[in-house]
Amino acid sequence: MRIRYSATVAGLAASALVLAACGGDDEDEYGSGGAEAPGSLSFYTDKAAWEPQFLQVSDVSENALGLTLDFTGYSEADQYSAFIRQSFRTDEKPDLFTWHTGSELEDLVAEGLVAPTTDIWQQSIDEGNVPGDLREHFTIDGEQYCVPMNAAYWVMYYNTKVFAEHDIKEPTTWDELVAAADKLVAAGQTPFYETNILFSFVWFQTLLAGTDPELYAALSSGEASYTDAGVVDVMNRWREMHEKGYFGDPGDQTEPQVQLKNGTVAMINFGTFLSGQLNSVDMVSGTDYDFFIIPKVNPDLEQTPLIFETGPICTAEEAQNRDLALQYASWWMTEEAQTTWANARGDVSFNPKALINDEQLASLNQEAGTDGYQLLERYFEATPTPVLTAALDEFSAFVTNPGDPMPHLETIQAEAEAYWSDQG
Amino acid sequence: MTGTSVAPRERGASYQWSARAFGLPAVLVVAVLLYLPFVWTSVISFTEYNGLGSPEWVGLANYREMFDDPNFLTSLRNTLLWVVGTITIPVGLGLLIAVMTYDMRFGVWFRLPFLITYAVSPVAVGVVWSFVLQNGGGLSQVLEAFGLPGAENRWLLDEPMNTLVMIGAWAWQQTGVNALLFVIGLQSIPKEPLEAAKMDGAAGWRLFRHMLWPMLRPLTTVVVGLALVASLKTFDIVMAMTEGGPGRSSETLALTMYREAFVNSAYGMGSAVALFLSVVTFIAAITYLRRQLSPRHEW
Amino acid sequence: MSRVIRPVVLTILGVIWLAPLYLLLVNAAKPAAEYASDAVWRPIAEFALVDNIVDAWERAGLGEAVLSTVIYSIAGPAVAVLIGAAIGYAIVALRLKHGFFWFVLVFGGTVFPLQMIILPLFVGYAEVGLFDTRLGMIAVYAAISVPFSALVMRNFLGGIAHQVFEAAVMDGATTWRIFWRIYLPMSRSALVAVFILQATFVWNDLLLGLALSQSGDVRPLMTALTSMQSTYGGSQLPTVLAGGLLVSLPTVVLFLSTQRFFTRGLNLGQF
Repeated sequence: MRIRYSATVAGLAASALVLAACGGDDEDEYGSGGAEAPGSLSFYTDKAAWEPQFLQVSDVSENALGLTLDFTGYSEADQYSAFIRQSFRTDEKPDLFTWHTGSELEDLVAEGLVAPTTDIWQQSIDEGNVPGDLREHFTIDGEQYCVPMNAAYWVMYYNTKVFAEHDIKEPTTWDELVAAADKLVAAGQTPFYETNILFSFVWFQTLLAGTDPELYAALSSGEASYTDAGVVDVMNRWREMHEKGYFGDPGDQTEPQVQLKNGTVAMINFGTFLSGQLNSVDMVSGTDYDFFIIPKVNPDLEQTPLIFETGPICTAEEAQNRDLALQYASWWMTEEAQTTWANARGDVSFNPKALINDEQLASLNQEAGTDGYQLLERYFEATPTPVLTAALDEFSAFVTNPGDPMPHLETIQAEAEAYWSDQG
Repeated sequence: MTGTSVAPRERGASYQWSARAFGLPAVLVVAVLLYLPFVWTSVISFTEYNGLGSPEWVGLANYREMFDDPNFLTSLRNTLLWVVGTITIPVGLGLLIAVMTYDMRFGVWFRLPFLITYAVSPVAVGVVWSFVLQNGGGLSQVLEAFGLPGAENRWLLDEPMNTLVMIGAWAWQQTGVNALLFVIGLQSIPKEPLEAAKMDGAAGWRLFRHMLWPMLRPLTTVVVGLALVASLKTFDIVMAMTEGGPGRSSETLALTMYREAFVNSAYGMGSAVALFLSVVTFIAAITYLRRQLSPRHEW
Repeated sequence: MSRVIRPVVLTILGVIWLAPLYLLLVNAAKPAAEYASDAVWRPIAEFALVDNIVDAWERAGLGEAVLSTVIYSIAGPAVAVLIGAAIGYAIVALRLKHGFFWFVLVFGGTVFPLQMIILPLFVGYAEVGLFDTRLGMIAVYAAISVPFSALVMRNFLGGIAHQVFEAAVMDGATTWRIFWRIYLPMSRSALVAVFILQATFVWNDLLLGLALSQSGDVRPLMTALTSMQSTYGGSQLPTVLAGGLLVSLPTVVLFLSTQRFFTRGLNLGQF
């Protein structure tokens, strides 16, 4: 028995090591990833779940460019950011990687780690592949970096059956929206979705941008204070909405798409990427759900503020396949790439020529480009990271226990002052 | 092989070379793969570093800022709750289950429910416990069904309740491990004195108090030592269930560290929290182990 | 009296412990669209467990990662168990000088928060060519498991009377032979316990997998599984649960199949 036992242990350990060694050999044969093979670009993203959609585009690019994406996905955005940052110290510099605009991108550019894309932008704007307004979000000190990976607008999704049941039409003014919410509350139906995890900023963004877009912009550039009267008013309005019972349980971790489907909430203030998630729970666009642009809170505004979100795809300056990667980035903005991408994701595109299959999204894409709307960058990208981190925590606490907004605003402002004074 | 041949005339001689050879792999592996990276982290804690370019030396600034932050105290308090909670609940229950099952018919089967929970993937555990603990979720539904009070509690939203219920979830997962370790300890108790004690009519509490407990001491040291270290570093379950929120109400030191280093890319600050946490853990563990494993008790 | 109390107490506790598992099974078996958070206890007639598992398997692309994860979960802990037992043996049986110091040094490896050592590890691995290799993954999993292994083994081996060692020396055995043929077999249950606990840890690891690997055949399972659950994942809870259930099966089987090592009778008393 003893001998057999020892032999088993030895055998187990030995065979495991042999297997491991075999694995190592495999590795050498194929190379680590296909990145070294010609025509394949190493591609990193924190949107691991979007692998199938990225690979669909990769299939198209294989024909169009002879280039494919060698996909590596991370599921944890914070860790992803850390690894990309560290990868610049190694030989594993990414050919292409998704990132965030704002302070995250500024960090990389300050160290000269990202390849500029100024020429690509000019060409794409000239060809009408991307609206010129978008350029400023990718500009640092007069040069452009990265290209937009995706685009999304933040709108109000609603469950059409719940609306029909309570005889509610798509609101076109803030008062109509409030009236609709009151009607739903009176009938025992929760109007709006809200969460205290990550997306706790959403209603702050909507209310502030809809009330005073200039203050919204000034807040993200450090020119206004979180304790300014305008911000406090917005927080108090938000608090009143809580007191009237407009919002669902912020601790409910049921996914938003399921909450909308089950009628737990009637409306969700969310990015247009929610369409894809709603489709995945067998809801049909235009039949089971629809969306409308959130009316301006302040009726005196000339344009309706519309929150816009975009994330970049970047190339490392010293990437192994830098030039091919830039070629890929340029192609990414074309009609061909964007039609594939937007439809694969079930979302809108920044390229106005892209053919969006979903009618609702297609018309939003058209409408957003007209004069009636003022595009504002999403709070998440517009706010410098340390301030954002503090703000997300404070908003999370606020939506959980709505009360006096001042302590929350003071905490955020303290972080903002520390950040902006550091920036000199 | 590698062992030293020991001729009888060498009896009583010391086996130091042999001992070093046996000890070397462990020391080597731990030094290279755990200590070395941590040295880097320690150095970074005295700098300002965003993960790019070169770290900038700032001396003790990170530490000063850390101790000045009121949120740091919240984290410290929550971490202490975790330490106390972990050492009492999962360790205590584990001991209870081990003692009740080790010599019982079908004891293995009675132990299974507690063990299986450890084997279940954390991915599923996180989701299931959010079912249980969300407002009006599984726990509240049960309380309501049995007419018990508390159904209206917002388990994960109010502090310090959220930390306490998460300790409960942690106990659910960890009790089995502790029970298993205690069982091993009970198995290593020599049979003869135990049988003799039983013949003398020792049973239940008396048997435990005078026989089992003293003889379990080495394993108790292991289990409590591990629980102490693990609880000071509590991270995964809080990250999965509340991400330290709402606000920062359920944050532990490990989450504070993660927040600074990974979310804010302030590696200097994150490393400072990490170093503080490591030093506290090290001192706690060594103080405890030293007392328990002092040469007097060395075998 | 105690004959009644024990099973009753154990049964009550057991039921409490199994309740969340019931929730896991019932909700993993619901059709994704039927799940509702206010009815988690209620099973649904339509049994969709298999569909959900298939869905999770495909969405997460688990197939590729299984082999590498199996290798890591066996090799890492196996190496750690042996290394840990070896230093325990060195300290307890061979009376290594300054044994407590060396033990503290090794156990001290466990105090560092893992989250903070992955970044320097990543850079170090990339520099020496261990990044994205199976060997590198096994090495780091072994290293992580060694402190725990050393603590348990040192204490367990301490329970073996030193006369056993002396007697074997009298018989002319080498230190290696005494370790391999006497001490290791005597500590079977502890070895198995350390192994299964660490194998479970490695099997479920996410952090190191994300940090130190990249290609499909090196990356472990959890990195694939958790992507479903992320903010951008959009997978339904029943699918996530089904995926979690699926990847739990190997560890559950591991625990079940090793229980015979923990029954009364395999104790040291018999030696």
